[in-house]
Amino acid sequence: MRRPAVVLAAVCLLCLPGSAGSLRGAGTTGLASAAPGFRLQAQGAAPLFVESAAAAGLTFTHVNGATGEYAMPEIMGAGVALFDYDNDGDLDVYLVQGGAMPGTPFDVARQPSSRLFRNDLTISTDGRRTLKFTDVTDAAGVGARVYGMGAAVGDYDNDGDLDLFLTSFGPEILFRNNGDGTFTDATKEAGVSDDLWSTSAAFADVDRDGDLDLFVANYLDFTVADNKRCHDSLGARDYCSPRAYRPVPDRFYRNEGQGRFTNATDASGISRAYGAGLGVSTGDYNGDGWIDLYVANDANPNQLWINARDGTFRDEGLLSGAAVNAAGNPEGSMGIASGDVDADGDEDLFVTNIIGETFVLYENDGSATFDDARARWGLAAPTAAFTGFGTDWFDYDNDGWLDLFITNGAVNVIEAQRGQPAPFRMRNQLFRNTGSRRFVDTTAAAGAAFEQARIGRGAAFGDLDDDGDIDVVVTTNNGPVLLLLNQQSGAHWLQVRLSQEPANRFGVGARVGIERTGRPTLWRRVRTDGSYLSASDGRVHFGLGSSPALDAVVVEWPDGARERWRKVLADRLVTLRRGTGGK
Amino acid sequence: MGSRAIGVFGMLGLMLNVGGRSCAVLLVLLGVSPAATAQDVPALPRLALEGFPDTARSAVSRAYKEASARPDDASAVGTLGRTLHAWEQWESAHQAYSRAAALAPAAFEWPYLDAIVLQRLARPQEAVPRLDRALAISADFLPARVRLAEALLDSGDYRRSRQAFEALLGEASAEPAAHVGLGRIAAAEGRHEDAVGHLEKAVALFPELGAAHYALARSYRALGRTAEAERALAAHTRYGARWPRIEDPLLLAVTSLRDDPRAILQRGVALAEAGDVEAAIAAHEAALAADPTLAQAHVNLINLYGREQNWSKAEVHYRAALDAQLELATAHYDYGVILGRQERWMEAEEAYRKALAVNPLHTSALNNLGQLLERRREFDAAATEYRKAVDAQPTFRLARFNLGRMLLVLDRTQEAIEEFARLEQPRDAESPRYLFGLATAHVRAGRREEGLKWALEAKQLATEFGQDELAAAIDREIARLR
Repeated sequence: MRRPAVVLAAVCLLCLPGSAGSLRGAGTTGLASAAPGFRLQAQGAAPLFVESAAAAGLTFTHVNGATGEYAMPEIMGAGVALFDYDNDGDLDVYLVQGGAMPGTPFDVARQPSSRLFRNDLTISTDGRRTLKFTDVTDAAGVGARVYGMGAAVGDYDNDGDLDLFLTSFGPEILFRNNGDGTFTDATKEAGVSDDLWSTSAAFADVDRDGDLDLFVANYLDFTVADNKRCHDSLGARDYCSPRAYRPVPDRFYRNEGQGRFTNATDASGISRAYGAGLGVSTGDYNGDGWIDLYVANDANPNQLWINARDGTFRDEGLLSGAAVNAAGNPEGSMGIASGDVDADGDEDLFVTNIIGETFVLYENDGSATFDDARARWGLAAPTAAFTGFGTDWFDYDNDGWLDLFITNGAVNVIEAQRGQPAPFRMRNQLFRNTGSRRFVDTTAAAGAAFEQARIGRGAAFGDLDDDGDIDVVVTTNNGPVLLLLNQQSGAHWLQVRLSQEPANRFGVGARVGIERTGRPTLWRRVRTDGSYLSASDGRVHFGLGSSPALDAVVVEWPDGARERWRKVLADRLVTLRRGTGGK
Repeated sequence: MGSRAIGVFGMLGLMLNVGGRSCAVLLVLLGVSPAATAQDVPALPRLALEGFPDTARSAVSRAYKEASARPDDASAVGTLGRTLHAWEQWESAHQAYSRAAALAPAAFEWPYLDAIVLQRLARPQEAVPRLDRALAISADFLPARVRLAEALLDSGDYRRSRQAFEALLGEASAEPAAHVGLGRIAAAEGRHEDAVGHLEKAVALFPELGAAHYALARSYRALGRTAEAERALAAHTRYGARWPRIEDPLLLAVTSLRDDPRAILQRGVALAEAGDVEAAIAAHEAALAADPTLAQAHVNLINLYGREQNWSKAEVHYRAALDAQLELATAHYDYGVILGRQERWMEAEEAYRKALAVNPLHTSALNNLGQLLERRREFDAAATEYRKAVDAQPTFRLARFNLGRMLLVLDRTQEAIEEFARLEQPRDAESPRYLFGLATAHVRAGRREEGLKWALEAKQLATEFGQDELAAAIDREIARLR
């Protein structure tokens, strides 16, 4: 939505840089203008999150098309993308839809479709926020009627607006953003689709040529006609293990410019190793300045594709320690969180797994050597009884440490729910990073939305109500979407949006650091990937804790150039334009 | 009574007399009261048996009724736990075992089995006290000692875990596992030289120990011994989760409780994987006799009878699988292989095409169809099928080899070289012929020296892998080239 000018002016009168953080300030000198506004105030014993999807008009129910034949795609759910499709400064929501299984006798025309919801947030003069979403799918032309799985977001054609890539059990679709609120199906001309069952995808400039390449994780060779009949330990029909099918290879498309991609799967070496791919994340795991790829595979070793800086990758997953558990066994990996959880300057990985395995934290030593630290960080025992999907590090309490959200839901019948409808329900989980290399489970304080068990799948993260804290949109399998609005208040924060010309305009892959006297630099990477089947906001968010003071914001651009901005004030969104910073 | 004398169901002796001490003395040593109070005793699990399939309900309900009728009888409750354990109802089994253990504090069996279930549930911290308790009752029961050491390791208690593993070094069947555990602890503490020492001993004792190879690879890498790390990793990939077996009569008694058709079928599958085709067929037939609707057994039997060259039986089960409309791609493919082995080429081709109609990504069917087309000299069509196979499964080396070999026959030498070159890694038992293919292609392209280089490497690998006939053949070619 476009905010009325009067709102901007009114709120800017209240700007108090350096205050306790309840206000958003105007842009700092030399920086682009910021989005002002109040933050929602939490009550004393208020929950950390409030579920607000219906209240905000985000009405969407995923349909998995289950027919009783236990077809694998039914149980995988679908994802969500948070992105500002109309460039009005707030986050819109794209929800991926399933529908009837291809090959089953359903009327295609009556298939439900994926939906795009425009964010029409309003902020009144007294700072009150009204979050409202409007379904603009038909006008935007993104109501794909495929059996959708996931979404990825990136400005692949370097025209300054965000494009959308839809994965599916069937053909993928690339929606090019026309910049006027509409999209065009550019799949064919871009050359980025095949019929393999695709799941998560990621846009990243891996060859540092200024445009975004595309990695697509693919899952299994399942077909409806070849649906196998699997049973649980009691002999009841259940969904198959991925081992019942053969994994299909992932795809890597190199962006050649002019809106065209080349399938570089073989040439890049990506076809040399693959598993049943479900999650993908980008990061510079060995700290050499080049973007690497991490792929979470279901029941196969994960891949860590180290960028060889010559257009090829080599899989160092097993030797790095991030492919299997400490005993050398692959796990049922689904979602990925990638980020500097221990504030030591490198990117660590968290991977959600299937029940009975526990979820794993792979702690990076800075050279892409990882240690399975799940027990040491207190994440093993609390996750043993869950099957996890969407996840990410995010600083929900703005204390400067990356916390953790996980949406859970089983893929096989849960013992205690046998005989009930949808016996796959699990609670979501929230963990707080104590700052001393340990997580504590704060799910109980997270609110009513965390008490109810659902079949969680996708999760995307971003500040939907522009109040300075990170909210979460969660998809459920064959169920409604959840909008978890963060109720945090009191701590300081900063959000950074990058801008550069002429290519990779959003600075995807750049690393942004906050320098503070006497404290470690906080590093975050500009990316939209990770989690499961989902795309999160590409702006980076920093919690600053009780002090708004920061010495500088440092940006390491994707091509290795480095800039520093001083006199950046907290409690606002700033846009850092390349070339306006110092050394 | 020594641990090796523990009977499958005969734990009563342990309850009454352990190592010559009276039960009362033991209980004092354990710090537990002879009879647990009601509030200490966990409740019986609540089972929604109406949601169970018939066979499972029948099996579990008997034990459930017994336990419900005698809820303070540890044996009845423990038997329910064992039944639930056998049917992999982990949480319920844990509840039943917990209650049984509380009702009979001097019994070894219940805390031990409870610990196994808790390890399965990835709750090693909870397994540790139960294993401690069980071993306080019977200190020598080897499987429990191994499990305690592993649970301690998984809990991060390296000090106690190290002690427990060190105490296992004298036990022949547990020694490989002990070295793996000690190696993992040393690696976790950054003592990679020590880790390598232990892990090399583990693989010397049990060469197929995949976990040891993986840990070795990691420690070699930490020490900068890259080539050894790569070799260890290849061994890990080859052996996966193979682990030296430690006999556990108590656990065997649990798994043996199941004699339903699906359990029999599973045993048949395990027998087939172990290479005992005759026994696997017998198990599959027994499963089918118990449950004629068990269509999966038909599908498996096509393959098993095919291996035995019992074509008529294979065909019977192929027809049955078609009637059941189950796993049709597998059924058609396996039947195609059987027809091929009988040189019924046209029918085999038809079977492969049927498999591909069900699953166009069935790469084995694509490869075999390619071979049939190549045999008919329909080379372009064959190349198309081979290419589809390697596109859908880039790691399918045999299909790529077939493609390269056929291209070579067609004098499309450069294309052949490109395909063979992609088979260069990994180096395994298949590699000699792939490298020899690459050598031949280079020679055909007029690059004699390059060809000679690959031929020599192929010969060396063939010798290393004990493929003497192939090595001799390559040697003859090398002599001719020279």
